[in-house]
Amino acid sequence: MTEPRHILATFDEALTSLRNNVLMMSSLTERSLDRAICGLLQRDDEACAIAIADDEEIDQLEKQVDHDGIDLLLRFQPVASDLRRVVSAMKLSSNLERMADQATNIARRARKLNQHPPLPEADLIRPMYLHAMSMFKDAIDAYVRSDVAQARSVVPRDEGLDDMNRMAGRRLTERMAEDPAQLRGYLNLIFVSRCLERVGDHATNMAEDAVYAVAAEDIRHQHFAAAS
Amino acid sequence: MVSLLEMPETASQLTMNEPAPVPSAPANRASIEIDNLDFAYGNHEVLHKINLAIPPRAVTAFIGPSGCGKTTLLRCLNRMNDLIDGARITSGAIRIDGVDINEPGLDVVDLRRRVGMVFQKSNPFPKSIYDNVAYGLRIAGVTKRTLIDEAVEKSLRSAALWDEVKDRLHVSGYGLSGGQQQRLCIARALAVEPEIVLMDEPCSALDPIATAKVEELIRQLKQQYTIVIVTHNMQQAGRCSDRTAFFYLGNLIEVDDTVKIFSNPAQRQTEEYITGRFG
Repeated sequence: MTEPRHILATFDEALTSLRNNVLMMSSLTERSLDRAICGLLQRDDEACAIAIADDEEIDQLEKQVDHDGIDLLLRFQPVASDLRRVVSAMKLSSNLERMADQATNIARRARKLNQHPPLPEADLIRPMYLHAMSMFKDAIDAYVRSDVAQARSVVPRDEGLDDMNRMAGRRLTERMAEDPAQLRGYLNLIFVSRCLERVGDHATNMAEDAVYAVAAEDIRHQHFAAAS
Repeated sequence: MVSLLEMPETASQLTMNEPAPVPSAPANRASIEIDNLDFAYGNHEVLHKINLAIPPRAVTAFIGPSGCGKTTLLRCLNRMNDLIDGARITSGAIRIDGVDINEPGLDVVDLRRRVGMVFQKSNPFPKSIYDNVAYGLRIAGVTKRTLIDEAVEKSLRSAALWDEVKDRLHVSGYGLSGGQQQRLCIARALAVEPEIVLMDEPCSALDPIATAKVEELIRQLKQQYTIVIVTHNMQQAGRCSDRTAFFYLGNLIEVDDTVKIFSNPAQRQTEEYITGRFG
């Protein structure tokens, strides 16, 4: 069912603009992550440089979303689903900015790795990347389509990514002992693995925000609540 | 608009008819129960099957578009609609602490003492500040000066007006600002020690500062009184009330905790109204 338009057309316009900026941030962040991983796996320094440079645009968009969100709260005092939409957009934007920071970190590590002979262990990163990006894309898709079930499905997948990060960490640590000459390279891969694990955390946060925006349900930290 | 203390049914008239007094409420209670209420002006039914429990010592806000029946329902709670020809409850009941307020022979003056009312537009009498507040007590037969002095001071303090008027109690109430006049009317309502205070858009004619003072006053008063407020200002309902009831076309669409209503209402109509997507 199509949602009725707001009596104040300016409110609908402001909300649409806020949402569009979040979606723009999402596209840029996805592109940055792609470029950073491409820079790592294909040893492409130019892709790394572009990923690092793009971070500035995402940072500015985050400030724009914050500014527009506060302006919207101030001028229209939204309630109920409108309030949740504004709050969620601002939280999504914060998570996207931090994801983009991870892309920058990966690109910087990749540039360092590219200065040395390739390490076969870099292949450990590919499945982690695919897993993290599928979580990211599903979280954004759930937000765009207001699909609570899809958003919920993202949350438990974070554990799989955590496991992959632990396994990669163990394997790379072993390799550091076996091949100390490449210690820095293995250390850089550990950091990249850690960055992707953080991307999964942010995707989880975004999925939780999508659930809140649509269903007004706070599903964060439920494993802690269940344990206490 | 007529004040509850200007009702045509004077105490003396009612004494002649020997009405049954309204039983006093036990301490800490002044709950209102509206049970399947239908109300009509002539043949035009404006409230349909309203069921609503209003808890004691809390603020309940009635919201909804103009003409939805919220003020009519508010005025039912102290039988103010009795003054309108053809206005009548066609079925159902309103009970205050279990007593049907429309039962025959009930003392309406005493009901209106227990259920005070503050109106949209402040309506001080053309009297001094002191006499405005003392008016209800004098009508009730209180003559002892010290008792009246105490009650006037207590009521003005409760209405957060004492410090502003204590040095000019005998000047006209008309000399006060709009916000002060509204608080004077609240003090006048409090002077007769009601258990329930009804407020019909009490801040609609006030500036933001005066509105904030009245809202702060409402917050304080709810510790002693059951308050029902009709407001078109949804931010005000959000700030002031503990419970919010949304009405539309004479129907109670939804009632719940105010935080729930303004964060995640259960009914689509409520959501559309409060988010400005109505009609």
